[in-house]
Amino acid sequence: MSRLSFRPRPLDIHKKLPILKSARDFEDDDPTVAAFAAARVGVLLRHSGSELTAAAAATDGEGNSTPSKKNAQEIPTPQFDDVETYDRDYTRTFAQPSCYIRGRGARAEIGEFVEYDLDNEDEDWLDDYNNERKNLNPEKLEVLLFKLEILDHKARERAGAITPTFIGPVPVLLQLDVAMEALQYLSVRYAVFQAVYNYWRAKRERWQKPILRRLQPPPPVNDTNPYNVFRPREKAHRLHTRRMQRRENNIQSFEKLRLVRRNLDQAKALMGALIKVSSCIN
Amino acid sequence: QGHEELDAASLREHEEFTKVKNIAKIELGKYEIDTWYFSPFPPEYNDSAKLFFCEFCLNFMKRKEQLQRHMKKCDLKHPPGDEIYRCGTLSMFEVDGKKNKVYGQNLCYLAKLFLDHKTLYYDVDLFLFYILCECDDRGCHMVGYFSKEKHSEEAYNLACILTLPPYQRKGYGKFLIAFSYELSKKEGKVGTPERPLSDLGLLSYRGYWTRVLLEILKKHKSNISIKELSDMTAIKADDILSTLQSLDLIQYRKGQHVICADPKVLDRHLKAAGRGGLDVDVSKLIWTPYKEQG
Repeated sequence: MSRLSFRPRPLDIHKKLPILKSARDFEDDDPTVAAFAAARVGVLLRHSGSELTAAAAATDGEGNSTPSKKNAQEIPTPQFDDVETYDRDYTRTFAQPSCYIRGRGARAEIGEFVEYDLDNEDEDWLDDYNNERKNLNPEKLEVLLFKLEILDHKARERAGAITPTFIGPVPVLLQLDVAMEALQYLSVRYAVFQAVYNYWRAKRERWQKPILRRLQPPPPVNDTNPYNVFRPREKAHRLHTRRMQRRENNIQSFEKLRLVRRNLDQAKALMGALIKVSSCIN
Repeated sequence: QGHEELDAASLREHEEFTKVKNIAKIELGKYEIDTWYFSPFPPEYNDSAKLFFCEFCLNFMKRKEQLQRHMKKCDLKHPPGDEIYRCGTLSMFEVDGKKNKVYGQNLCYLAKLFLDHKTLYYDVDLFLFYILCECDDRGCHMVGYFSKEKHSEEAYNLACILTLPPYQRKGYGKFLIAFSYELSKKEGKVGTPERPLSDLGLLSYRGYWTRVLLEILKKHKSNISIKELSDMTAIKADDILSTLQSLDLIQYRKGQHVICADPKVLDRHLKAAGRGGLDVDVSKLIWTPYKEQG
């Protein structure tokens, strides 16, 4: 570091610092100061440490761009392609309201949205099941699996079997007949319903947890397995270093203040007496 | 960041585990994107080299047909949550991780594919997500986002920040940084990004701090304290100091510290710092700071 950085005292952030606009203002020390300061601009990035050089080299040519092997590794280059079916998959049906959009809350809470999406296993099973003839369409299977999950979750709730975190295999409590009755309104033939129920139950027993992700209990806080994510966390206890701002203006506070005033008056009287006594003695 | 809970053996396992990329490509809306890093998707997804994301609710699926079936029923055309900013085709949505848990988790799974140091250790309840979107007649398409703790002990006003690869180098990242400071100003607090910053993150922040501070110094007539600069910009005093010091703009003259603001010198620094991104039009921000309910 040069003599320019000589700083005998730490900087006080509250102190107003003079802003020197011209090179002439620097002249109390050295006429070459301004030139030196200007020259340092070119090396400002190097001066700030290795992290910044690595980053600097990847700028769009506006900074000091000398690429090096290390830099190429630090900042990846985006590789992407167009999706051909995009125009068909995403329809032009969005009408932006003139006022800012208000959130409605999670779909799970609002209504009948089928949160479950068929996965590979489900699709493969359905293909097999529909092999001879079309027994069931995918949308119906999706609704059934979704509803079975919800019903089973409710059954576990009623039985007090819901744990806040994952502590062991999650049991299946929903029985076929109960499910059948609850889902009668879906008008599914009994044989089909039974096949779906059995498929679902077998899958649940293999997975040992719900197949609808929202219903899967999170890992416990002390789980150190790096594969597991989204542990619940309590809000960090915030140190109260000051009394709460919301002071209650009630009778108790008033009485307290009165008491404090009486004590202070008494202390004042005592001090007054002491002063008199000591001046008499003198 | 987030590794304190792991003992030495687990930490080694964790490091090994996170080196191997699992998902190589994703489809998200208009683009098929190569991923950069490992992301801890549920074990059922370990056998997939490619995942298909619904652009709006961010649910992810293993086969294209599953996504197409999902699109027929998914009526979401924008991020869940409140739109808090709209300027032209650019919109910002605020999503509460507690109210929209699945969306928040989906977003974290997705973002991790492009962020090296992000951790999904803890749940999303304690975070707010600010989703930046470009809007058209198909909906509001996410181009980037940043997350923020609802309550930060360390005055962090930003936890993670990402511009999706197809939208990088267009000024969105700088917009996100500027936006995070506009929120801090509205809250009446100073803020700073969570550390450690990535290489690109540090570069972007240095650029932002340089532009904001030097523009003030160019115009300011009288003396100024670091604290005043902090109050004006919501930038933490430490960050202001380190920026000005790294540019050699703080000198010691005649027994006191001074700020060197020779316009030619400042302009050279500003040029090196790069262009600003898209501007934040504060008049279009309709937002009140987050308050815990109940």
